[in-house]
Amino acid sequence: MSTESPPPSTARVAEAALRPLGWGGWLGFALAGAGVVLLAIAVARLLWVGIGVWGNNIPHVWGFDLIAYAWWIGVANAASLFAAVLVLRRHGLRTAVNRFAEAAALAAVLAAALYPILHLGRPWLFYWTLPYPNTWGLWPQFGSTLVWDFWGISAHVLVTSLFWYVGLIPDLATLRDRAARHGRVGLARFYGLGALGWRGSVAHWHRHQAAYRMVAALVLPLLLSAQTVVALEFAVTVVADWHQARLPLHFIATGLPSGLGIVLALAVALRHGLSLREFVDRDDMDLLARLLAAAGVAALLAWLHEAGAALLQEDGATRAAFLVRLGGPAWWLAVVMGGLLPQLLWWRPLRRDFVFVPVGLLAAAGVWLDRWSLVVDGISRPRVPFPVPAYAPSGDEWALLLGSASLFALALLCFGRFLPIVSMYETRHEESEHEMEEEER
Amino acid sequence: MKRILGAALYWLFRHPPSSAEVVLPPRGAGTIAEFRDADALTEAVRAARAEGWTLFEAYAPHPVPDAAEAMGIRAAPVGWLAAGAGAAAMAGAYGLTMYLSVVDYPVNVGGRPPHAWPVFLPAAYILGVLVAALAALLAMLWLNGLPRLHHPVFAARGFLRASEDRFFLWISPDDPMHTPEGAQRFLRAQASLRVSEVPPS
Repeated sequence: MSTESPPPSTARVAEAALRPLGWGGWLGFALAGAGVVLLAIAVARLLWVGIGVWGNNIPHVWGFDLIAYAWWIGVANAASLFAAVLVLRRHGLRTAVNRFAEAAALAAVLAAALYPILHLGRPWLFYWTLPYPNTWGLWPQFGSTLVWDFWGISAHVLVTSLFWYVGLIPDLATLRDRAARHGRVGLARFYGLGALGWRGSVAHWHRHQAAYRMVAALVLPLLLSAQTVVALEFAVTVVADWHQARLPLHFIATGLPSGLGIVLALAVALRHGLSLREFVDRDDMDLLARLLAAAGVAALLAWLHEAGAALLQEDGATRAAFLVRLGGPAWWLAVVMGGLLPQLLWWRPLRRDFVFVPVGLLAAAGVWLDRWSLVVDGISRPRVPFPVPAYAPSGDEWALLLGSASLFALALLCFGRFLPIVSMYETRHEESEHEMEEEER
Repeated sequence: MKRILGAALYWLFRHPPSSAEVVLPPRGAGTIAEFRDADALTEAVRAARAEGWTLFEAYAPHPVPDAAEAMGIRAAPVGWLAAGAGAAAMAGAYGLTMYLSVVDYPVNVGGRPPHAWPVFLPAAYILGVLVAALAALLAMLWLNGLPRLHHPVFAARGFLRASEDRFFLWISPDDPMHTPEGAQRFLRAQASLRVSEVPPS
């Protein structure tokens, strides 16, 4: 082993994955772990007692479950849309943020996947949505949105994991070799199994890049379908404010600020928590912040269209239902936090790390409020001839929301702890291309 | 009859010819050269093709499309396999759901026609995308001969750096032109940092 050559530039990334945890890391793991325990308790109570532990009832058949589901899908979608576009455009930024954008998308899909199963009422019978030959000779009702949802969410989980894993294979091989060089045989075997025996043959690289870009391209149509299926669950009902053809587009456009906001806040955490400032540099953060602002514009257009269509174009029932939504604070807060607040980021002096975290998280919260406005306020004009109490979430629902956020955090912490958070081979590739350009000059 | 059966049984269960008397030297696992950068590796690959070496592999810590093209590797089959599998899955999912709800067990839901084609589209579309993505990964692994957790080249000196910052060209001992001396002579002529024999593993 020649020791005189300088250490490879990506050593920092690999070491971030292999070094011992500091007190901040332990605190993060402890908090997220406590949240996941809370989630387990909430799920156990739901399974044991039944769906009555939640605050929803007629007419509010959906409450926190569908709000959180639609919101998490939006987060996952925007994060993986961002990662896929970076891979397909072969943008320089992809070396920095595409890997953890993929990871954030995967963690968000896992959090989202909890809800459709749990809100079934009898979650242990979820396999009834699968077309398997059974003794009753019955088949699922394929026109049901519940069945579309089953396919939608399972495909979303699988394709997002694939996208993440295909890009990770070569970096797992790097970690395997580094662990082997440090004499940690068990760890080397652990990473080696995940790397599938990757040996870096240029022929393998060639096909790997084709497969990676193929999966990235396939993520794009899947994102459309993932949000669309969620939106169709609302659109196929006869509720006045939900029964609208514009809903899929509305979900896709307004979902963007949530995912980009969370990716932006995570990028700040990476820069300072894992000291990866040279891999996620100021230019990367600048671009990401402007993307969030642009996503805010798209979301504002969606809200503008929603208000315009409901007030000027639709029939009386829809207009009345939408006016009820305008009477609550959620719709206005969503527009301000998810749409207007990110517009501040167009202004350069405000593009700083301590601004990014609140703006990103508030944008995500704003999108959550938009889902609240649609799910809860959208049905507040009951079509039943007796007074009904307003929807109020129960403690179990809050525990489930907090628990799913903790699951998201725990998945990301595990990822940051055990795996390279920045794509190492793409960093190397970019550096060697950079060196070649300099030599030619 | 008995004799034929006996002969067949003897042939099936006979001991392999003993090789205890002839002690062969352990056969090496090929010859390997180490390079500093991707350009040197690409040049070496071109030279190897020009000189008529056939069974060799080049290793790099990041994609080197020029070297792959010089080896005559085409990535297009990955895309075609994925697209084909995706289209087949889409047609299969539509066909299956349509058959089950129109022919096998039609259910009248609010007087709608059994073959209301738009309701079969979401699942078909999603399954097509899902299977295409799975096929892209599997086609990549299959064409690459992975997963293969062990390979003789892993025993090469310094090969752990192939995943970090070094480039390697390995000539297989199964190459018809391969002799340790000939391969070493060729690799030394390619401006490599180091040439060594891969020990058998």
